[in-house]
Amino acid sequence: MAAGSFFGSFDPSAFINALILGISIASIWLIAALGLTIIYGTAGVINMAHGEFIMLGAYSSYMLQNYFGLPFLLCVPAAFVIVAAVGLVLERGLIRYLYKRPLDTLLATFGVSLVLMQGVRLIFGSDPKYLAVPSIFTSNFQLGFVNISAFRVIVLAITIAAVVALWALFYRTRFGVQVRAVMQDKEMAASFGINSDRVYMLTFALGAGLAGLAGSLFGVLNIVLPTMGMGYVVQAFLVVVVGGGTLIGSVVAGGATGELQSIFAYFTNDTFARFVLYVLIVVFLRVRPQGLFAPSATRR
Amino acid sequence: MNIYHNATAQWLAYGVFFVLLAVVPMFVDDSFLLNQFATYGVFGLLALSISLCWGFGGILNLGQGIPFGLGAYGMAMTMQMQSQDASNPIPPFMLNNSLDHLPWFWEPFRHTALGIILALVVPTLFCAIFGGLMFRARVSGPFFAIMTLAMLSAWYTLILDVQPYTNGANGITPPGALKFGDYAIDPYSPVAYWSVLALLAVATVGGRLMTRSRFGLVVQAVRGDAERVRFLGYNVAGYETTIYTIAGFIAAVAGCCWVALTQYVSPAQLDTTFSLSMVIWAGIGGRLSLIGAIIGAFLIQGAQSYLGDTFLNTWLLVLGGFFILVVRFLPKGLAGLLETILGRFPLPQRGNSNGNSAQRLYPQPGE
Amino acid sequence: MRASRRSFLKTSALGAGAAIAAPYMFVRTIDQAWGATSWIKKGEPIKIGLLFSLSGGLAVPEEDSTLVMQYAIDEINKAGGIAGMPVEPVIVDAKSDFNVYSEKTKELILRNKVVAIFGCYTSASRKAILPTVMAQDHLLYYPTCYEGAECTQNTICTGPLANQHSKDLIPFMVEQFGKKVFFVGSNYVWPKESNKNAKIWLEKAGGELLGEEYIPLGSSEFGPVLNKIRDAKPNFIFSTVVGASDIAFHKQFKQEGFKVDTMPIASLTTGEIETRAMGNEFGAGHFLSAPYFQALDNPTNHKFVEGFLKSKYGKNGTTHYNMEETYLSAYVFKYGLENTIKAVGIEGVTPRAIRDHSAGVRVEDAVSPEGLIWIDDQNFNTWLKPKIGQCQADGSFKIVKAAAEQVAPDPYSIYPDIGKCTADGLKAPDGKMRKSVI
Repeated sequence: MAAGSFFGSFDPSAFINALILGISIASIWLIAALGLTIIYGTAGVINMAHGEFIMLGAYSSYMLQNYFGLPFLLCVPAAFVIVAAVGLVLERGLIRYLYKRPLDTLLATFGVSLVLMQGVRLIFGSDPKYLAVPSIFTSNFQLGFVNISAFRVIVLAITIAAVVALWALFYRTRFGVQVRAVMQDKEMAASFGINSDRVYMLTFALGAGLAGLAGSLFGVLNIVLPTMGMGYVVQAFLVVVVGGGTLIGSVVAGGATGELQSIFAYFTNDTFARFVLYVLIVVFLRVRPQGLFAPSATRR
Repeated sequence: MNIYHNATAQWLAYGVFFVLLAVVPMFVDDSFLLNQFATYGVFGLLALSISLCWGFGGILNLGQGIPFGLGAYGMAMTMQMQSQDASNPIPPFMLNNSLDHLPWFWEPFRHTALGIILALVVPTLFCAIFGGLMFRARVSGPFFAIMTLAMLSAWYTLILDVQPYTNGANGITPPGALKFGDYAIDPYSPVAYWSVLALLAVATVGGRLMTRSRFGLVVQAVRGDAERVRFLGYNVAGYETTIYTIAGFIAAVAGCCWVALTQYVSPAQLDTTFSLSMVIWAGIGGRLSLIGAIIGAFLIQGAQSYLGDTFLNTWLLVLGGFFILVVRFLPKGLAGLLETILGRFPLPQRGNSNGNSAQRLYPQPGE
Repeated sequence: MRASRRSFLKTSALGAGAAIAAPYMFVRTIDQAWGATSWIKKGEPIKIGLLFSLSGGLAVPEEDSTLVMQYAIDEINKAGGIAGMPVEPVIVDAKSDFNVYSEKTKELILRNKVVAIFGCYTSASRKAILPTVMAQDHLLYYPTCYEGAECTQNTICTGPLANQHSKDLIPFMVEQFGKKVFFVGSNYVWPKESNKNAKIWLEKAGGELLGEEYIPLGSSEFGPVLNKIRDAKPNFIFSTVVGASDIAFHKQFKQEGFKVDTMPIASLTTGEIETRAMGNEFGAGHFLSAPYFQALDNPTNHKFVEGFLKSKYGKNGTTHYNMEETYLSAYVFKYGLENTIKAVGIEGVTPRAIRDHSAGVRVEDAVSPEGLIWIDDQNFNTWLKPKIGQCQADGSFKIVKAAAEQVAPDPYSIYPDIGKCTADGLKAPDGKMRKSVI
């Protein structure tokens, strides 16, 4: 594929469509990474089971929809609650013993991901499932030459809502102050009477819940399978690492990677776009190893 | 003192371990088993490399599939070219991808020796460059782990995408065994088994000597506290890059052996799951013990082959659960368990000042 | 305790001695290890290996293959087995891991001494085990579609080759919907080879290729590709996207506002299982080319569908092309083995002999749910009739076109320069023979 061939076919309206699609891809990257950002940013835990939390979210929605007849829009918050509960149990039963060993949390959560994946397979079988959504979601908008599907808009809207809610939670509530205090200096926060144990527990559950929320959306975009989470986890990690583990960092990193992916895919092909993106990320981290917006706190 | 820390006892254990492995072909007449054990030897090499890099260097490497896969591809290309001759000079899959001449980077693989050298040098060089870049930028800990994962995905995608040169997802399947001159190494023969075992033994002994050398001590000090070592004037990035590169070299050797044994390589060798399972082997066996890591690989892969069929659907559940328990309660793995048990039966102290001070030289895990 | 220690010492001493005096072992070859014993014995069960993934990502199609093989074996055994001997499957789990495929192949051949292996779904797994199968001169029944461009003495394939698969589909679509087409495939060998064949049919039908895109395996983001398709405005899409990606593709196709009646997807893979997994509303209206559909209306198929779904293996609730091709392979094996026994006697049976005596084996209408098929006597792929089905609102397929007669398989149809696959190997245009080319 020569360079000329894709610049030769350059078409402004198609390019604008690619940019708009980039926003949608970015919102998918971002919502997949939100939970991870919170868990990593607060407690320094590398949660390898994040992809499986996403998968659990999709399966909870599937279960609620098929066995209890819950409408899809209610399944989304329900998936949040269910997966948050799973996260809470996991945090109490395993993660809290490992906060001092960040590399070990990575390994232990990898074990958790194996267990969750196989457990779900045993319960639901390995054949793919699907989530039914109201037909209004399976249409698209057309404004001039701009095309975007309704469901992509929904994902974008939910992502924005989740980011705003998190921002409000962290910067406008007492709990948020506590979280930020613990992030900056756990001992100092403890000496001011903040129960860091409780903060960690709640943020972990919150992060898991966000993954569940993402999962219930991804189940609509593609397919519900026990292995579906694996595709998202590396991607989500990259967003967190590039962003430096902060909320704003993840938003910017998710936006940039989504746009870049869409633009590269527009000019070349999807496979090559991925490769270029991965290499760019490695190069970027060579230049800025702490990520885009590193917290000012001590190095972990 | 604990006999576990006794250097003589350790060397003795190494000796016994390898002699036991060496005599296996005397009692095993089953060519399938021999081939299977030889591939376990390859997994042992990988676990060893993880143990050096992660256990001793403190660098968690989730992308060990890169040097392994690159080495494997190099070897597969060498073996593939051995089966090409003047009348059909280029591999069949290239014809199907409308290449009418051999790509330039395949040319050196016409020569077996040069091909194998490249299969080892290219991955090693990659590790040196990638490690150098990352460590000089002071990327470390979990960040480095994630970056290796990203790099692994990048390589995986690239190899898949350049199908005319690598045959994409189908991989390269050299039709014949590896030949040196006229001598073919039958992958089912004791020769193949002993060759892998010899490499494993050399790597283990070399690795052990290295961890006890001055270099090894500095590397372990870096694991303990990189900042402090840096303030002492050491080039921390240099040490980290070196240990990471050595581990990469061992993985490349493993990749070459693997293809010689299975006559097959595909992007699946660069799959994240495979690289993660290498870490599991070392983690369960004991990342701070070279032999522990190797035994971990044997145990897990052996159980996968034999128990896996019995448990079938619950196998991953068992493996995952086991791994969680090990990480939670035995951070030093099964080798750590042995250490604790042996610690219950202390040896009478002979020349204790000697033994103890020597022992203190070695940084303890978990610092 | 003491005894074991002593025996340990003895063993290691013995081992150390033997290690020095071992060179004689260097010359032992595999043939000496098992060449002498015959593969099947009179009155004893005939062992065959079922090498499919029962866990992991490939389990979705391959578990069904294992089940339908067991069903076919039961059926054969109930009817008296093969030459009076029952067939006994050795079932292993390849765990969706190519390393395990390779390991299990060795185990099946060298340890279990099965006389044939039935297995694999992906080309990558087939390529992983072929060096072993070939080195042991064994026999692999590969029961699904693949790209061809392979010529060995050790495989029999019962699925369509790339040259058969889209031969009718492309002209049919061009005729029904228009000349302009866009190719989308997963990024690996089979889709690329299939597309090369499709281009030939497209040219013959006077069609026009607007674009060709490949998606990473397992990817679920079809936004960029769909945007390109929207700009190109083809009359139909030709898809070789596989697995979970295929489902994501069909879903996003509809979600992005594409209309199935003006721009349908003509696929080589989207069958009954995929449609059910994505939800019928996303599958309805699209086309599939396959030799078999559950909806085929003939007595043999009715018997097959009913019998299978009622049996203990029918829990998945459907039959589809991949299962039927697997089912056929069991009968191809049965007839091939019967021919072999007739020709060389039970003692003379080897995997290779079965393959040689399978040339031209026919599975008649009364047995084959898709109708008569036979094995090519040169390249050992299958003569079959590809059919075109359109997915209906209830997820079933309506047959809209069936080939008039069986299409010949030709693994090198688009590579005449490389050669022609014959029973003795690949024959190059200059007359030179190469035994196995993979």
